Amino acid sequence: MVVMAEKIDDECLVKQFSQGDDSAFNRIVEQYSADIAVLTNRLLGWPGDVEDVVQDIFLAVFVGLKKFRCECSLKSWLFTITINKCRTYRYKQILWQRKTITKLRLRLPPNRPADGRLMDSETFNRVRRAVKAMPAKYREPIVLRYLQGLSINESSRILGISENVLQVRLNRARKRLRRELAELIEE
Amino acid sequence: MPEDKIINLLQKADETAGVPAPVSINISTLRRRANRRRFVSIATPIAAAAAILIAVGLYGFTLRAAKTTHQQKIALLEMQIEQLQARAEATSNLVQEVLQNERKQQRLDELQAQLASIPDPLEEIQKQVDTTAFNLVYQADRMYRELNLKSSAIRTYKRVIELFPETHGAEVARERLSEIKNIKYKKDSKGDLLWKPQNVPSSC
Repeated sequence: MVVMAEKIDDECLVKQFSQGDDSAFNRIVEQYSADIAVLTNRLLGWPGDVEDVVQDIFLAVFVGLKKFRCECSLKSWLFTITINKCRTYRYKQILWQRKTITKLRLRLPPNRPADGRLMDSETFNRVRRAVKAMPAKYREPIVLRYLQGLSINESSRILGISENVLQVRLNRARKRLRRELAELIEE
Repeated sequence: MPEDKIINLLQKADETAGVPAPVSINISTLRRRANRRRFVSIATPIAAAAAILIAVGLYGFTLRAAKTTHQQKIALLEMQIEQLQARAEATSNLVQEVLQNERKQQRLDELQAQLASIPDPLEEIQKQVDTTAFNLVYQADRMYRELNLKSSAIRTYKRVIELFPETHGAEVARERLSEIKNIKYKKDSKGDLLWKPQNVPSSC
């Protein structure tokens, strides 16, 4: 019932926006910007500052919202856009890193502090490095399934792959992380 | 289970990372950016097409200009070639003329040399006359001195004077005649044989 209500609400918003009501888009932003920012933060390996990427995502939403046919939930559509934008961003980042690798090393953002947090700085950095080092096809299922808490069905739909493929990728991603973070797991 | 541990570790890391800074989305900014992007997406191909057209136009213009310059160069070269040909023909004609003149001059020199080598007929005639007069005087001398044909000798002397009056032989003949006359007068004055020349013209 809740899902149906959400879907009807999303359809209404999209319809209102298509008719030129900007407040509908503002409502979409208010409703989903936090989720998108969190997902972006997770997909990019917790960099903290994701404003530029989120701006780009909402720009793509603004441009493409009129073409949205409500075949899936608005949230799934937004997450798909987020994943695509994060891929593009990471790809550009990799290209840029290749060009200015030395500068990048000097300009790497400081590791996230862990003052009063659940994990110390060193452990957090190791986990972060391991997640960032994974290819997108393994990292994205991990983020969607374990961090965003989406179902297998929803995750596979967002990623555009079958559930079996998703399961396989999750399995491989877990193995990879187990290998990378073996010491931390044993502790 | 290690899988649970991994998931737990990831979730802990996510919690540690915290929530990202709130993002402020302004719809007017998004609209402006979307418009700019749309403008760029439309303007870029148009600008590229315009640039290509300009480049093609410039290339064509340059090509035409180069072609025109090329044709002008060819025309100039042809004109220069014609001028050179005319000059060469003029020089050739001049050389021919000079050679012809040289040949004419050479021929003229040869003819003049030939002409110079031919003896003067007047002189020759004069020589012949002198020789003839001399021979006649010589004959007359012989007749007078050796053959004692006085009258024949006088006739010959007179003939020499008559025929060749301007020659040396005529002078000699006159001397001989005067000598003969003197001898006759001497003999006349001594009472010897009186000799009078006969058939001698009074002018002698």
